[in-house]
Amino acid sequence: MVFKKVAGMISEQFGVDVSTITMDTLFEEDLSADSLDIVELTMALEEEFEIGEMQDEDLTNLRSVGDIVNYIQTRLSDN
Amino acid sequence: MKIIIDAMGGDNAPDEIIKGAVQAVQEFGVPVILVGDGTSLLEHMRSMGYANLPKGIEIAHASEVVEMTDEGSAVLRTKKDSSLVVGLKLLKAGEGDAFVSAGNTGALLVCSTLMIGRVRGIKRAAITAVLPTAKGRCVLIDSGANVETTPSLLLQFAYMGSFYAEHVLEISNPTVGLLNNGTEETKGPPVQKEAYALLREAARSATLNFIGNIEARDVPAGGADVVAADGFSGNILMKAMEGTAYMLTGMLKSMFVKNIFTKLSALALRGSLAEFKSRLDYKEVGGAPLLGIAKPVLKAHGSSDARAVRSAVNQAIKYAEADISSLIAGNIGLMAAEK
Repeated sequence: MVFKKVAGMISEQFGVDVSTITMDTLFEEDLSADSLDIVELTMALEEEFEIGEMQDEDLTNLRSVGDIVNYIQTRLSDN
Repeated sequence: MKIIIDAMGGDNAPDEIIKGAVQAVQEFGVPVILVGDGTSLLEHMRSMGYANLPKGIEIAHASEVVEMTDEGSAVLRTKKDSSLVVGLKLLKAGEGDAFVSAGNTGALLVCSTLMIGRVRGIKRAAITAVLPTAKGRCVLIDSGANVETTPSLLLQFAYMGSFYAEHVLEISNPTVGLLNNGTEETKGPPVQKEAYALLREAARSATLNFIGNIEARDVPAGGADVVAADGFSGNILMKAMEGTAYMLTGMLKSMFVKNIFTKLSALALRGSLAEFKSRLDYKEVGGAPLLGIAKPVLKAHGSSDARAVRSAVNQAIKYAEADISSLIAGNIGLMAAEK
């Protein structure tokens, strides 16, 4: 469920076909994302999942879609 | 129509911003919202001789200020009540039709991107300088927002600049050149060569008046109405032109004050010299629009005085009236960005 939502948001933001997005999709290498793209995505994710602000130190470890999905799931279960 | 202005951004804020806003309201008849510390702004206005809030001026309170040294991406989290962030919130909420700031360029670009968003399909917003040329003016896009670009980005810049030149600067069928180190098709790094091919294709489809590569030395002569460039080269070109203009006006001034005869000559040429100075003066242009952002946002020069602020408001009005964002959105199919 989290993956489906995240994939949809990534598809919207990066203009890629949602069917091409997997847990292994890398932001930099596969989506050509830079720091601004990541910040934009995280802001949208914070709002969508109501998980509060994602800390900068957490963002540095988020390299793939799977990383983001696992992070959100952890935050949701903490809440 | 209403223009929102960051009253606390820039070297001469808030006094020159206030003065410029008042001038703009009087000259153009469009109301303005000044964003900043309400108490402080009112005190400044009183010290400037205004017994009451000038007609057409509203104040929106913001307790914080983004400094020139603040990092752009951190501002949204650490200075939520800054005049820059509050101003963009007002724009997003539809309280005004355009936002003008002479403050931190990086913060303005990042916060505009994150708060207002980009026109759907636009990969990156670009800071768009309007430069004086021998033929009038040209649009330089990008003049510093994106150090690295891709061929598709340059194509998007070319289209956005062309729309701006046509609908705001009223240049009919503007010519578009790609900034390069030579005019031949084979010149430049791979990004420029690929961009050339995309732009040539756009020209063949008659959707863009692409005239080929343009060298930096041909830009001041008016070689193209729109110069598409990566942000690094564009920024260097813009600053080189600014510096050259200052040098020339300084040299002319030195020559004319040399002796009584040269001073008399200057007196005789007073009108022409004033026109010459005005054409080179950034204060007459106003500001640099952030093309690609979904609503009108303009970056005014950091040293803007009242005249420059007044010009920026004038430019913001025209930018908002032209609805460039809708033009870009309507033509996004012509400039689809790569993933």
